[in-house]
Amino acid sequence: MTAIALTQSPTRTPGALQRVVNVVKLHFANPYTVLINPWIILIGIFLVNLAIWAIIMSQVTDPADRADVTEGFSYSGSSLFIFVYMMIVAIQAMNQTFSFALGMSVTRRDYYLGSALTFVLLSAVFAVGMAVLAAIEEATSGWGVGGRMFTSIYFGDGPWFERLAFVFLAMLFFFFVGAVAATVFVRWKALGLTVLLGLLGLITLAFVALVTFTRSWGSVGEWFATTGFLGSALWSLVISAVAGVAGFFILRRATPRG
Amino acid sequence: MDDSRPIFLQLAEQIENEILSGALPEESQVPSTNEFAAFHRINPATAGKGVNLLVDDGILYKKRGIGMFVTAGARERLLAKRREGFRTEYVGPLLQEARKLGITTDQLTDMIRNEDTQ
Amino acid sequence: MTTIAEATGLSKHFGAVRAVDDVTFALEEDRIHGLLGRNGAGKSTLMQLLTGQEFATSGSVRVFGASPAENASVLRNVCFIKESQRYPDDWKPKHVFRSTPWFFEHWDAEFAEQLIDEFRLPLGRPIKKLSRGQLSSIGVIVGLASRAPLTFFDEPYLGLDAVARQLFYDRLLADYAEHPRTVVLSTHLIDEVSNLLEHVFVIDQGRLLVDSSAEDLRSSATTVVGKANTVDEFVGGREVLHRDALGGLASVTVAGLDDAERRAAAAAGLELAPVSLQQLVVRITGTAQKEFEVSA
Repeated sequence: MTAIALTQSPTRTPGALQRVVNVVKLHFANPYTVLINPWIILIGIFLVNLAIWAIIMSQVTDPADRADVTEGFSYSGSSLFIFVYMMIVAIQAMNQTFSFALGMSVTRRDYYLGSALTFVLLSAVFAVGMAVLAAIEEATSGWGVGGRMFTSIYFGDGPWFERLAFVFLAMLFFFFVGAVAATVFVRWKALGLTVLLGLLGLITLAFVALVTFTRSWGSVGEWFATTGFLGSALWSLVISAVAGVAGFFILRRATPRG
Repeated sequence: MDDSRPIFLQLAEQIENEILSGALPEESQVPSTNEFAAFHRINPATAGKGVNLLVDDGILYKKRGIGMFVTAGARERLLAKRREGFRTEYVGPLLQEARKLGITTDQLTDMIRNEDTQ
Repeated sequence: MTTIAEATGLSKHFGAVRAVDDVTFALEEDRIHGLLGRNGAGKSTLMQLLTGQEFATSGSVRVFGASPAENASVLRNVCFIKESQRYPDDWKPKHVFRSTPWFFEHWDAEFAEQLIDEFRLPLGRPIKKLSRGQLSSIGVIVGLASRAPLTFFDEPYLGLDAVARQLFYDRLLADYAEHPRTVVLSTHLIDEVSNLLEHVFVIDQGRLLVDSSAEDLRSSATTVVGKANTVDEFVGGREVLHRDALGGLASVTVAGLDDAERRAAAAAGLELAPVSLQQLVVRITGTAQKEFEVSA
């Protein structure tokens, strides 16, 4: 027999953290999906808005009217779109890389933890980025045309750090709802996703029905009022966390197919 | 490397042929197992088996850390072995076939002489 | 010999389909194993079980002494290249090779570069726009350059032309000789690889039919050709793997013959023809030869 078996040089076993970090790097290997495209979209929406603001403002000359219009702009939901887009990013990122990661001998556990860490990082990056844009928006009195997108009323009317926290929490929420949807899709394909969406629809309907029939809309409103803007947002962490944990267990038994 | 006999035997025989023809002189270095494997596109373990067969027979010897060499006197020993083999593998069947066809031993020797002078 | 991986009573059922059915075998260290069988025989599922990508219905899998499923310390030494490997749609090959060193600790970047050159893989072309063969060459390059102690190639050559396939076989052989490792090569192009293999498994309908050294398998059958009655007389009570007849001639494939039997056959005026590994697998699995040839 050929006795030429070279002994394998002893190499460092990558620790658990390193393996998770490697998955994060995998998500950023081509930064377009998770980082560049969302920013392009965000900037795109911003530019379109900027054009609209400029056009509208060119027709408004009275300072009092201008203030009203700016107030009106703050109700624009343009920047909310970016959150929904994040959900799609999460679904895409996981659906695209799951099979590949397993092909690279990554465990589902490391893959999921790495993806979750990626989503937390992305939430932070986007929250900080949007806080910076909000600061510029305030400093330039709405980009010089009285526009409001990053200081939209939906992000609260508190100080900058409250807005930052809110955006971060909202990002987390949409990323992890996206993540759980992605794991359902990876494991049970379109059928699973359809069932999941159906279930969520039913739960929402049941909640609305419950509140309506018990005539409790008043108490619901009261709850939001007493919990406060940021307080309500903090409660979304519960849903984000539940989604995050559920995604983990769903993915643990998923298999890459065709 | 494609008749029905085991590949390692075919490889061993081929190396023997090269020693007999003088392509691999005595005390010269022979290619490594991996080189044989790559050249013949065969599994290195199979190539190793063929080479080791010759090492066991004393046709090749290993110099630790350097490689494999043709043993002094290997050619002579191979010749002797092949000559013995020639008798059983060629002469025997030849006579057998000749008898089947009614060719006498004398006729056969004549045929061989004629063939040789051509 | 050290056992690298073993399966015991391993089964994987998808509903009523027994993709892998009560299979028991072992992979020995630093050998090139062939996993042969028809399309849909269960080869891919078996490899997915060995790499923890699928979960067994019953039975057990041990790789490097432990279950491979969700086991990072096992999987870090495993590379599984499969024909159906998906890559992220918006990636280019360069993204693949950017990430492989993170996951394979024995990754040889220089070797990878050499292979990229030899296979003429365009690194900057979107994966979606690659030809089937170029896609396959990504897998082949990853599988070779990862130098994982246990490497699986599942029909890695789809769409590769004969030249590229030969390049793959040559590089595999040369690199394996330099860096011995355990390889499992699943293929239905048996003739092309038969001389590379040291050990052969044949699987059909989820069951393991052959578990034998390639050398033993090659000598395990011979085709005897001659006059029908002479052939029948010689074959006698032997197990017949295959029989063809043409007029008064017969061609019968029987289990291996020893030297004395070979001489007896020659003396009886019969011709003996070798049986290639591919022919043998065809005989064993009762398949049309066509299934084991390159389809355009």
